Amino acid sequence: MKKPLFRLKHYLYGLGFLLIFLPQVAFAQDEAASPGFLGSIEAGVQSVVDVLNLLFYFKVGGENGMPFIVLWLVIGAIFFTFRLKFINIRAFKHAIDVVRGKYDSEEDEGDVSHFQALAAALSGTVGIGNIAGVAIAIRLGGPGAAFWMTMAGFLGMSSKFAECTLGQKYRVIKPDGTVGGGPMYYLSRGLSAMGMAPVGKALATIFAVFCAIGSLGIGNMFQANQAFAAVSNVLPFLSNLSWLFGIVLALIVGLVILGGIERIGAVAGVLVPFMAVIYALACFWVMLVKLPEVPTAIGTIISTAFSPEAVSGGAIGALIIGFQRAAFSNEAGLGSAAIAHSAAKTDEPVREGIVALLEPFIDTMFICNLTAIVIVLTGVYADPTAADLNGAQLSAASFETVIGWFPYVIAVAGFLFALSTMISWSYYGQQSWAFLFGDRTTNIYKGIFLFCVFVGSVVNLGPVLDFSDIMALAMSLPNLLGCFLMSGLIARELASYMDRLKSGEMLPEPHVAQETVVRR
Amino acid sequence: MSWLKRTSVLVPIDFSDLSYQALEPAKEHVEDISALKLIHVLSPLHPADPAAMWDTVSDEDRKQKVRAFTRNKLNEMGYGDIHIEVVIGDTTSKIVDYAQEIDAGLIVISSHGRKGVGHFLMGSVAEQIVRLSHCPVLVLK
Repeated sequence: MKKPLFRLKHYLYGLGFLLIFLPQVAFAQDEAASPGFLGSIEAGVQSVVDVLNLLFYFKVGGENGMPFIVLWLVIGAIFFTFRLKFINIRAFKHAIDVVRGKYDSEEDEGDVSHFQALAAALSGTVGIGNIAGVAIAIRLGGPGAAFWMTMAGFLGMSSKFAECTLGQKYRVIKPDGTVGGGPMYYLSRGLSAMGMAPVGKALATIFAVFCAIGSLGIGNMFQANQAFAAVSNVLPFLSNLSWLFGIVLALIVGLVILGGIERIGAVAGVLVPFMAVIYALACFWVMLVKLPEVPTAIGTIISTAFSPEAVSGGAIGALIIGFQRAAFSNEAGLGSAAIAHSAAKTDEPVREGIVALLEPFIDTMFICNLTAIVIVLTGVYADPTAADLNGAQLSAASFETVIGWFPYVIAVAGFLFALSTMISWSYYGQQSWAFLFGDRTTNIYKGIFLFCVFVGSVVNLGPVLDFSDIMALAMSLPNLLGCFLMSGLIARELASYMDRLKSGEMLPEPHVAQETVVRR
Repeated sequence: MSWLKRTSVLVPIDFSDLSYQALEPAKEHVEDISALKLIHVLSPLHPADPAAMWDTVSDEDRKQKVRAFTRNKLNEMGYGDIHIEVVIGDTTSKIVDYAQEIDAGLIVISSHGRKGVGHFLMGSVAEQIVRLSHCPVLVLK
């Protein structure tokens, strides 16, 4: 009897928040003279973006220079690739062995296996960005942006390794046996172990603030926005009913994160890998149909990556956009995935870091690249009659030229990708919120999160994308700074791990068994 | 003075040192230590927590581990046989419900004394318990 009542109370919290926040946003924007209620929400988002732009997005090196925050990410990825001696290449095979369970041990502390931790982290990274984000990159930066996305994915594998190794090393096992981990923990605990406790505490707090707010963009409003774009693309009658879509989507997410109806989350969790396979198969089909043109398409991607005139942003426009969209898609350098990876059962922090470097590979170098090749191959992006298509709709239009009914699959896949990503990011955001304000007040965060699902659905792509970008990239400031400071430690841990791996000390259990059989 | 002693006294614990400090005054209100009851309230796992996503950690596991953890701590502090109740859900309502269930004569709890934003956001479990409890509540400051 008590349980339903308890749940009812949770719903009421959510409803209360909607009632409190809706009128405030409306009143606050009364003077902006935007048309109607939805317009006023949009103006509100835009004014937040303007302030954030000033803070994080100033350009280094003049008018056509590189935005500071993108430069920061690029430097981080290159630094760790060299500092860790191309860990992204030399540990690749070992990563696959570990994911296959060869090194799993039941006795180690933690909640899930290496494979399960990777899958959980992937459900946060493989979002609608893999369909829509690539289209946005090509629209803004030309086909060459796809090349730089791949490059960023490749280098990002190293920063992902660094942050997830730290996440494992400085996780805490709570009294109930579950794991708490992520940048909040490794920044505060790791740096305090190096005698920099105040710096660590400050960076951890800054990260938690950015992550709690950032989760509302990259993992929420952007996903809701593009899910609506994909769905309304095949159901045109919905296009004027974005508010209805927003309410329904917020309701579904609310049922999972407030109502504890885990079924929906589990269903999305099962369907997402399935949809990813269908999506990849469709990409291969398009390539097969247009096989003779594939080399030209790849040639276009590579040649435009280095031709300055192709892009509005000048010589490095494609590079900036590529890196930005890649970081947005695979989260390397942002630190968020370390929260999920720290749950893995292992006593070797480096091992989970090595598993984590597969994430940018699968997300960016594989799935995003497939989308990019399809878009360039079908040529829709260059068609002047399709100039107003962007994001998920551009991807859908590209597939449509080869597989007429595919926009429907994109609508379903996009919706599910968005749903599972939103649920994962609400977890990252909630962990950050709990770090700041304690476990008991997370319902307040959940209320704000649901409100943003609605806002994301009704607002235009432009301001949503700007807000999501800046807040997500801002997470990399405290996170990568901490990783830089601890890079010596990471390199030592890695060297020791690799030595022991080579000496055969860590031979996976089944191998030992096989060898004894052979000897007999 | 044994007529003033209660047959059951409840002490909510959140693993902070402050919360354990409530044990000493609580002991003075019972004749035998077995009349003391401890409660810890766990929050439910987020559906996207890898452990919840793959269903690798059951509620029973979590409760079991918390009981063992608290038992160790109590032994260290020199308290012997105290019943430890672990439940999952909303902190205040679970504590008040359990007090009613065991017909507690008193709840003893430490106030964390938060001020400003912290107090606004988190309120105070102690305050809420005072408001909702059916039995007397002793709040330590």
